[in-house]
Order: sequence, then structure tokens, then C-alpha cells
Amino acid sequence: MKQPHNPTDDKPMVDNRPQIDVPTATETMNAETATGPGLSYWQLVRRRFLRNRYGVVGLIGCLLIVITAVFSGFIAPYDGETKDRTAIYSPPQMPKVFAPEGGLTRPYVLGYAEEMDPNTFEIKFVPDPEVRHNLALFVKGDPWTFLGLEFETHLVGTTDGGFVHLLGTDSLGRDVFSRMVEGTRVTLLMGFLVMAASCFIGTIVGVSSGYFGGVFDMLVQRIVEFVRSFPDLPLYLALVAILPRRADPITVFILFASILVLLRWADLSRELRGKVISLRSMDYVRSAVAVGASDQRIIGRHIVPNTSSHIIVWATYQLPEVILLESFLSFLGVGVQAPMVSWGTMLNQVRDFQSFAAAPWLMAPVGMIVISVLAFNAFGDGLRDAMDPYSND
Amino acid sequence: MTDPLLKIENVVVDFRTIHGTVNAVRGLSYEVARGETLAVVGESGSGKSVTARAIMSMLAENARVGADSRIWFDGTDLLELSELEMQEIRGNRISMIFQEPLTSLNPIHRVGDQVAEIIQIHRPMPKKQAMAEVLKLFQEVQLPDPEARLSQYPHEMSGGQRQRVMIAMALANKPDLLIADEPTTALDVTVQAEILTLLKDLQKSHNMAVVLITHDLTVVEKTSDKVVVMRYGEVVERGNTQDVFANPQHPYTRHLLESEPKGRPDELDPDAAPLMVAKDMRVAFRIAHGGLMSRKHVDLVAVNDISASIRRGETLGVVGESGSGKTTLGMAMIRLLEPNGGQITFDGERIDGLTRKQMRPFRTRIQVVFQDPFSSLNPRMIIRQILEEGLIVNGIGKNAAEREELIGQALDDVQMPRDAMQRFPHEFSGGQRQRLAIARAVVLQPEFILLDEPTSALDLSIQAQIIDLLRDLRAKHDLSYMFISHDLKVVKALCHNVMVMQHGDIIETGPTSQVLEAPKTEYTKRLVDAAFKVVA
Repeated sequence: MKQPHNPTDDKPMVDNRPQIDVPTATETMNAETATGPGLSYWQLVRRRFLRNRYGVVGLIGCLLIVITAVFSGFIAPYDGETKDRTAIYSPPQMPKVFAPEGGLTRPYVLGYAEEMDPNTFEIKFVPDPEVRHNLALFVKGDPWTFLGLEFETHLVGTTDGGFVHLLGTDSLGRDVFSRMVEGTRVTLLMGFLVMAASCFIGTIVGVSSGYFGGVFDMLVQRIVEFVRSFPDLPLYLALVAILPRRADPITVFILFASILVLLRWADLSRELRGKVISLRSMDYVRSAVAVGASDQRIIGRHIVPNTSSHIIVWATYQLPEVILLESFLSFLGVGVQAPMVSWGTMLNQVRDFQSFAAAPWLMAPVGMIVISVLAFNAFGDGLRDAMDPYSND
Repeated sequence: MTDPLLKIENVVVDFRTIHGTVNAVRGLSYEVARGETLAVVGESGSGKSVTARAIMSMLAENARVGADSRIWFDGTDLLELSELEMQEIRGNRISMIFQEPLTSLNPIHRVGDQVAEIIQIHRPMPKKQAMAEVLKLFQEVQLPDPEARLSQYPHEMSGGQRQRVMIAMALANKPDLLIADEPTTALDVTVQAEILTLLKDLQKSHNMAVVLITHDLTVVEKTSDKVVVMRYGEVVERGNTQDVFANPQHPYTRHLLESEPKGRPDELDPDAAPLMVAKDMRVAFRIAHGGLMSRKHVDLVAVNDISASIRRGETLGVVGESGSGKTTLGMAMIRLLEPNGGQITFDGERIDGLTRKQMRPFRTRIQVVFQDPFSSLNPRMIIRQILEEGLIVNGIGKNAAEREELIGQALDDVQMPRDAMQRFPHEFSGGQRQRLAIARAVVLQPEFILLDEPTSALDLSIQAQIIDLLRDLRAKHDLSYMFISHDLKVVKALCHNVMVMQHGDIIETGPTSQVLEAPKTEYTKRLVDAAFKVVA
């Protein structure tokens, strides 16, 4: 029954774990071992996140979208305002790699010839085998600026300077693909601006209200409730009414963003308040009080770092919401104003059934909206799972 | 001995975690027969609870049981059974009592209904009949006033009463095997003894096999027939309890047996001047109740006009059950909590009524160590930052190098390696964390430290080391302690004087030896019995 045991047989729980030096002879006897190797919280988060495929795909999607926004001038073949007078409502051109005479060739697109239906007088676009534009990478085209420098190189274009409309054109002959790429910039800028500002305000209000409590907390919470009870749609529509008739698009953009911020910070501040109230009574906060730390230090060093995961996750969920809201309002004509291009303003062009039936490719930004919302949500989900301190895997 | 009722062979449990695979249990075997109590002893992390969960097949999702593992229960291998078949056995033939009676009962259902549900699941019967059985069970577990308890909610009961309900629940279907996972750890000492006595009696009357999981060796000695000592998921030693206690073979078992807190507080200079004096301390919490229109306030007096005095170099023990106001008193004395009245004098200066700013100069001189080492260290900071905070805030040490040296000395003091500085709290075990929490107090070179149950969240064998450490530090730095505890064993090893509290009042006070050897009140006597006798 009793087995002889080797007294030196004390294996650690995880064999590849770096051993923490144990100070005394008696301590070596204890089975209590430290858990896990020396990973900081953020290293752990990164590791957990990378294991989650859905989240990683989301992250890649988000990065692509952000890169598109930053280098929109390079990725878009044309400027958003460049008009191709020969192609109004021209359908998308598919790049082809099979030559008509057979065999593989360099990618090319065919130009369109306009034909009129003799019965309905409807104008139709038919690919014209005579007009062939070869596609090439890094071609010269419309100038674009980046960080104050002017460039002329674009990712794709035709060798002979002819137009290629990968996603067709709109009523003025502007390239839908180029405008969509350019729109990424405004839409994302709006998203990030609103997210950053509402995070900033929400954090300050939420943390201070939770930390100081008392009358201040009571007042702040009543304000939060007031803000949250506001019907937001009428407020957005009222924006049109209060704006000057010929307002600068930039002013409209900023006003629009501030109204979004005004209505969004409240959620975060309420969530954080609850979290801070529970953190405030943690022993490590009380120890900080016991060593004489100031409120400022306690908030900055103890409270905010421990709510950071919450804030970050909230922010990643906020972005897709703002993107959706922006497109919705711009679609109604309330949000971003021309000549600024956003996905919503592009959709504004397909408000009526006729243009929708005639040129369904104008709906292309919907695809971008869906992709970006999915990507940011997937990224947010992955982050939330990775940051959950209680997940035991 | 007859055939064992439960026989586990070569049980292996692995957890797949972010750090790789953790082998929680490595080839464990033991057996229990009917009417026998097997104690499974080990410190936290030794895999004793994981094994119990494996028997119940209640392991976490990332756990894997080894292919060669066998859990024979009355002739069947439980690991072969489907989840549906296991449901038949769980709560019926094998039941389990958990450590935390607060969280294992559903707060929104009456306790009577919760126990009746267990009966009805396994033995369909009318509600009335089930309730009658519940009443019988409640009588059996000696719940006071059993009829009235049936319709009570868990929050209306004390911890000990809830644990009795849990036991009634476990016994509801007359199980053959009862697994008790640290059934008394979360309870007050005086209640612990009662629950253990009850368990022992019930085992006899039901002829059950009991697997008792615990880290408390006193409990093992008093209640079990056989014992298995575990470390790192393996059996270190096994045998009859008496044999193992009389003649431990493995050094680890010897270490566990020797780790009872022992020793005496060192001599106190009789002429020492009083350092911390509190007079007529009063703390009351205002509790609002009633509706919006009929708001009423009740003042709950947590500390009722208590005076205490601690001389330089003295350790004063404050003892009492939970809710007796001992922590509140301590926190109010060091001004982490606002007292409603009373005078506090520290080294001749009045510190009650000082603002937080005015308190600053005293903060380095008065320090605190909290009960739970897992919540007292900020998880986002490395140890260096945690220890440095007090130095930075109080402007001690001219530059980073000087501060680092001070931190290093503090780590030496608590016998932690200096390279701990660059690590995060989660890399340390409970005992190590408590050393670090002590280092945070010591680094400021205080004169007075409030110790709020610094050992009660720790395993017994580590408690003893922390007590030794505290005693050494006291002598080395000429510290004075106020030591809050519910465990008189620890108090005996560390404190010169002791103060017994109940419901916010002082019941008894005097030199430790006098209070412990000749307790004047019934309450103190009960505390002493609970600490030194376990099963009365």
C-alpha cells in the first residue's frame, strides 16, 4: 500500500515554466506554485487573441480598410471628382486575362459602345472588342497628395491613358471605385473621431463620477440619464435646420461628429462608473490610500489601467455603429455634404428606384459598409474574449 | 476490509491553457470503502479538488482525463458513462459539498424548494411528500427551527446554516458516497467545529463513504480513517491517519505536520511607551431601507465605544467572528475609514479629524497589510512599481537607483528574491504575494502595521511561515502590530495582548496567555475550543 517515495521528486506543475527562485528551504516544500510564466497582461491578451481565427480575420480586414483609407489616393485609379464624359452610368468593366484570339494575355478591359434599343429607346452598353485598354500597375494619373507631398502614381490604370471603371460610373461619369476608396477616408475619419472623443469624455466623466461619488456622482448620473433619454434621430434631422444654408462641408462634418459624440459618451461613462465603484473598494486602491497617494495618482495608476480593457473593447464596438449611422444619415442627406465623399453620400445617389434599376453598381458602398462593420465587430469580439481576465484557457 | 466503494486508478487530468498543458493530476490512485472517511490533504494547486471534480465528471471544458484513467464506483467505470447516465448518479448516489455555501445555493429560490427539487429529480413524488422529507433532513442536519427554514431564502441564513442546508441537499437521496470539498474553510472557526461533528455523525448513521478534501491537518486528524497526502498532482504519502500522524515517512508530510503556527511572541519591554492609542472609538453604518416615500435609516453600530492601546513593540491581537467589527475598528484607527467618534493618538499626536493631506506625514509611519493577497496587488503593475509607489508619493529616495536599493532591502526582509521586481503579481503564489504585500508596508519603514487577517486566505503551512516572518520583522525593525484574526492559534504565536470582540463590543481583554488559558466568558471559551480542539 505504502510506496517508497523519492524525496527529491518534486516536479513543477508546468515543466517548461521558468522557475521563480524560492527563497528559503521551507518554501521549496510548498506545493503552492506560481501560475504561468512571466507574461504581462498585454502579452497574454495578444496570445489569446492570435488563437482566435475569427478575430484575426477581423483584424486583417480592419487593417486593410485602414490602409485603404490612408493611401486612398494611391489605391483609387482616379480622383473622386474626375469626370469621364464619355461614360455616364457606365456599368462595371471586368478585367479579362483571356485574349479574344485565345490564350492568356496581360489583363485588359474592353471599352463600351453605346447602343440604343430601337423599341424602348433605352441606352445599353455593350463591350466593344475594338476598344481594348491594357491594365498595368503603378501608372501615372491624377495627382494626389499625401502628407503635403504630391504624387501621380496609382496602383492600377491603363497603359494608354484610357478610362477603366472597375465598378462603373455614376450620373456624372465619376468612377465609383475611386469614389468608394476615397469615401473610406471620410467614413473612417468620422468613426475614429467620434470614437476617440466619446471615449475621452466618457472615461473622464465615468471614472470621476464613480471615484468621487456623492453629490457629484448624483448630478452626473442625472445628466447621463437625460442624454440617454434623448431621441437621437430627430436631433440629427434638426441638425439640418440649425445649419446655415451654405455651410462649409467641413463645418457640417465637424458639427455632425460632435452631435454623434454628444449622444454616445453617456453609455461608456455609465458602464465605467459601475466598474470604478467596484475597483475603488479593491484592496490595492486602499493600500495606495494607505501609502498616501493622491486621488490623481490613484486614478491614473490604479483605476484607469484596470478599466482600459473595458474602454478598448467598447471603442472597437463603437466604430461599426458610427459607420452605420453615418451612412444612414448621409443617405438621408443629413450627414456628410458634397463635395466630401463618404459611403453614405454615394448611396444618396440611389435614393430613387429609377437610378437603382438603371445603375445597380452604385450600391457598391453597401458592400464596403458590410465588410467593414463585420471586420470591426469580429475584431471587437476577439478582443473582448482575449481581454477577459476570467477565461481559464 | 470489504470491497472499496470508490476506487480510482491512475487518474490523469490535464488542462490545456494558454501557457501550454498543465498536468494537474498525475496518475493518482486511491480507494474508499463504505463507512470510511478518506482525507485528501494538500495545499492549493495540488490537484485534490480537480480529482473530486473528475469523479463527478464536472471538470472545466479545457480539461482532459487521461486514457488509462479508471474511476470505479460500485463496479462501474464512471468515465465510460454518458452524461445522461452520470446525471442519474450525481446528487443521487454520489453527492458533493462545496467550499462556498454562499454561492452554491440559488439566491432566488427558497431553500426548502431547492432541496425538494433534488429529491424530486431522482425520485418522482408529490411536492408535499418531498417537503416532508426535506423537513426530516433539516432536522437531521440540526438546523434550528427547521419548519420555518423551509420557506427562507439563502440570504436570510448565516454561513453555517447555509452549509447545513448544503449538507441536507447532499444527503437528500441517501448517497453512498459523499465528497466534501473544503466544507469548513469558508466558515467561522466556531462553526467549523460544529459542521465537522455533524458530518461525522451523519456518516455513521448513513454508513456512507466520505472523501474529505482539506488543507487543514487538524481536521484530518480528528475526522478521517485514512489519509492521502498530495503534492503536484501526485500522492506523496498514504496510510491510516493515526500511522501517518504518528510516523510520517515523506519529508513533505513532516513539513505539513510541523507547519502549525508555533512559538511565542518575544518579550515585551514593560516600560515601552504607548504608540497607538484609540479612545472611545465609534463607527456606525447608516443603512437605508423602506420605500421612496417612507425612507428610514437604521444606524448599525459596528464599533461601539472601544478603547485600545498599543505600546511600542507590542502586538495586539483582535479576535472575533466575522461581523464582530474587528476589521472596522482597525481601519478606523489607521484612518482608512471615517470613525463617527473617538480619539486616536499616534505617538503623542492626535490624528483623528486630520484631513487626508494632513494625514500624509503619518502614512509612512502607519501601514497596513490586507487579508486577500490576490486583490491587494494591482494586477497591471510590476512588483517594482507596486513597492515604489509609497516611496515616490512620499518623496523617499532621491533617484530611481536609490529607490531600487530600498525596494531590494524590503524584498530581502520578506525573503523574496530581488528579481521579483520585474514580475507581475499573478506570477506568484498566495504566500509569495502576501510576502510582497508585507514588503510594500515594510519598504516605508513604518512604526505601526495593521495586519488584517494576513494569513487567513493562505494555506496552513504557509500561514506558519508568514507568522515567523512577521515575528522576525517585528524584532528587526522594532515594529508594533495590531493583528486582526479569527484564529486563536495564530494569535497565540504572535500576540502579547489580545482583545476579544463580539457585535462591536469588547468581551474580554488581557495578556494572550491569560485569556487563552483561563477564558472568562463563554464566547471566548468557544473560540478557544474551536481553535485548539476542532471536534468537540
